[in-house]
Amino acid sequence: MFTRLVLYIAYSLKTSTRYHRVKLGVYDVLENSRCRLKSYFDVFMIFLVMSSIFLLIYEVKNPTQAWMNYFEDTTIFIFLCEYLLRGWIYSDIHKIIIQQHENTKYLNQKFQIHKALQPVLKNKLDYLLSPSAIIDLLAILPSYRPLRILRIFLIFRLFKLLRYSQSIQMFMGILKSKRFELTTLAIFMGFLIFTASTAIYLFENEKAGGQIDTLYDAFYWSIVTITTLGYGDITPLTTGGRLITSALIISGLSVIAFFTSIIVASFNEKMNEFQQHRIKGSIEKFQNSIILCGFGRVGQEIAQQLHNNNKNFVIIDNNPQHFELATEKGYIALYEDACNNKTLLQAGINSAATDILCATGNDVTNVYITLTSRYLNPDINIISRVNRINNSKKLYQAGANHIVQPFSIAGLLAAEHIGQPVAFDAIHGILHQQKDVQLETLTILKQCFLDQKTIGQADIDQYKTRLIGVISDNPNHEKHRNRYKLHSQHFYFNPEEKFLLTEGDILLLLGRKLSLDSLHALIEKSHLHYE
Amino acid sequence: MPSLKKATSTMNDTYIAVFGYNSMSFELINQLKKKHQRIIILDSDPNKITQAEKNNLVAQCLDYRQDEDLISLGIGSHLHSLFCFLENDSENVFLTLSARSLDKNLQIISIINQPESAEKLLAAGANKIIDPYEICSHKVYQLLSKPNLNTILEQVVFGRADLNMAEIVVPEHSFLDQTFIQDLHLNKHYNLFLIGVADKDQEEKLYFSLGEQDHQLAVGDILIILGSQKDIKHFKQKIGEIE
Repeated sequence: MFTRLVLYIAYSLKTSTRYHRVKLGVYDVLENSRCRLKSYFDVFMIFLVMSSIFLLIYEVKNPTQAWMNYFEDTTIFIFLCEYLLRGWIYSDIHKIIIQQHENTKYLNQKFQIHKALQPVLKNKLDYLLSPSAIIDLLAILPSYRPLRILRIFLIFRLFKLLRYSQSIQMFMGILKSKRFELTTLAIFMGFLIFTASTAIYLFENEKAGGQIDTLYDAFYWSIVTITTLGYGDITPLTTGGRLITSALIISGLSVIAFFTSIIVASFNEKMNEFQQHRIKGSIEKFQNSIILCGFGRVGQEIAQQLHNNNKNFVIIDNNPQHFELATEKGYIALYEDACNNKTLLQAGINSAATDILCATGNDVTNVYITLTSRYLNPDINIISRVNRINNSKKLYQAGANHIVQPFSIAGLLAAEHIGQPVAFDAIHGILHQQKDVQLETLTILKQCFLDQKTIGQADIDQYKTRLIGVISDNPNHEKHRNRYKLHSQHFYFNPEEKFLLTEGDILLLLGRKLSLDSLHALIEKSHLHYE
Repeated sequence: MPSLKKATSTMNDTYIAVFGYNSMSFELINQLKKKHQRIIILDSDPNKITQAEKNNLVAQCLDYRQDEDLISLGIGSHLHSLFCFLENDSENVFLTLSARSLDKNLQIISIINQPESAEKLLAAGANKIIDPYEICSHKVYQLLSKPNLNTILEQVVFGRADLNMAEIVVPEHSFLDQTFIQDLHLNKHYNLFLIGVADKDQEEKLYFSLGEQDHQLAVGDILIILGSQKDIKHFKQKIGEIE
């Protein structure tokens, strides 16, 4: 009967979406470092720990007040909840039970509840015995009245802070990774202390005319000496004692030097890893990012522009110099080969990225990155640089949406300069945002204030911008003059006053950024208003 | 120098010299050919010269380091523009410096590889610097942020469609002289779009016709307009620049 009830609960938990949602929510708050709520929770817990410790110190010399007790009780309640919740999300009991049940069914054995509960208990015991859970428990226990003597363990609450701070976790990680070296050092130190305490006890006991009368004194003395601390409350008086002291100080120096070098070396080793970890974390937080492959001359210029326009972007380059330059400038960069699927996935090709820019100086690499990206994400916008004109066709075949040829654009512009240098400078300045005046395209949105208006009615000049032309696929305009074919649409240069604007038309405007932005905002606003 | 004689003999007046026959100058040469400019290609590598000649281009093997060779090329006489498209920035600086010392009025346009070379080239006397990498990155950014704009420019303005940019200098005794930009209404009367006006008296400072501050035209000012070939021609006739 009991068995059936347990199984019923286990299966209903498995199918309950609400249960999973709640559990996932709790997990996010407590453990998921990518969740924003966790950082708020951590700060709150740090505050609780700090204030309860502060009260503890305050109570040493001041009378306890009633509100302090309430505060203490609340704190303990929150700690207890956290402890239990952590235990709850540590593992899924129902999964273990169901697994057991299915295993026995498969083997045609009888399902026995106590056998199924064994791994469950073992699992939860693992949690109870994990260092952080023990610290949590020790932080709660002393508040239980009969255990008031254990107040000293309240200090363990400070250890709770370990959980909430990443830098401390990082330090713990370093200590963990150097476990072997540190153990060796500890054994060596233990041996030294043992030898030194024994020796000093033999030389400096009271019978021999020294100050050390117990083994505990000898132990205390050797710790003070080996760390080169030397309070001087116990000093060796005999020649033998002084010899031992000299030897111990020198070995103490080497022990400390050894310890420091282990920690420093380990920091250096881990630093790169932490940085990469941090970078990966920030990539995951991105929305609508751009992947920039190659940080050479072109890549650097593009990055600068993206940076100036506050766009999110990830740089991938496997040239150490380029990578270093990118990190120096504070950009998010991956020191990897962009040809690997793994790298592109890491950069977010299937999650946050909307565009990929292949800006390497090698056409073969650009083709390969384009092909890989197109394979991984059929919808992404790929813009690739091509150096040899003959290769442009291959890039389109590989799946690039647009290609850019540095030398051919340069040649085109240089040729433009002959005959009309002033016009060249003007258009060059406008296009490359060297001047405040820009060219911009704005789309007419449904029901916005320009929709179904003629150019004459719209009077765009009043916004201090000039209309150069309109892109439209509206067949009504076919008789209009100045029509230029543009893919499936037409570009109407200098449209007449009676030209009717409709939803989806694109205006090509010249103006200062301020007026263009304000016109854009007006269109958006009137569009939302009618929606 | 048989090829040069052949070249100069067919060119009675001015022509353009392009130094460096490589992937960088390829498109430039194409564009200049389209504009029916008279060009001569120069390179110190004989293989490239034969290659250029195979493509029906006037080419000559020349060492840019010798001033005599540069003079015989026509610098200081019938050469009006010089393109430095050599592969190293240092070569381009040297060539610019030599050419400038020979001719004060020569139009020198040079390509650069490293951004820091720009200042050096300008100091050496280049009129215009072109940084292909910078332009390329701008282009990529434009494709990214304003794809529509890019399509229009590519297909219509820089493309084959008949929509051109032109510079028109305000001639003497035309109705343009002393008119305000606001009153021009080129779009209504001549089907032209006025991008801006470069003031001759203020070192060709550019005024945009955006309805902010008005500007009074004077002789020598340059109007930058956009329009079809036919309309531009019509406008030029109206102001009396051409018959």
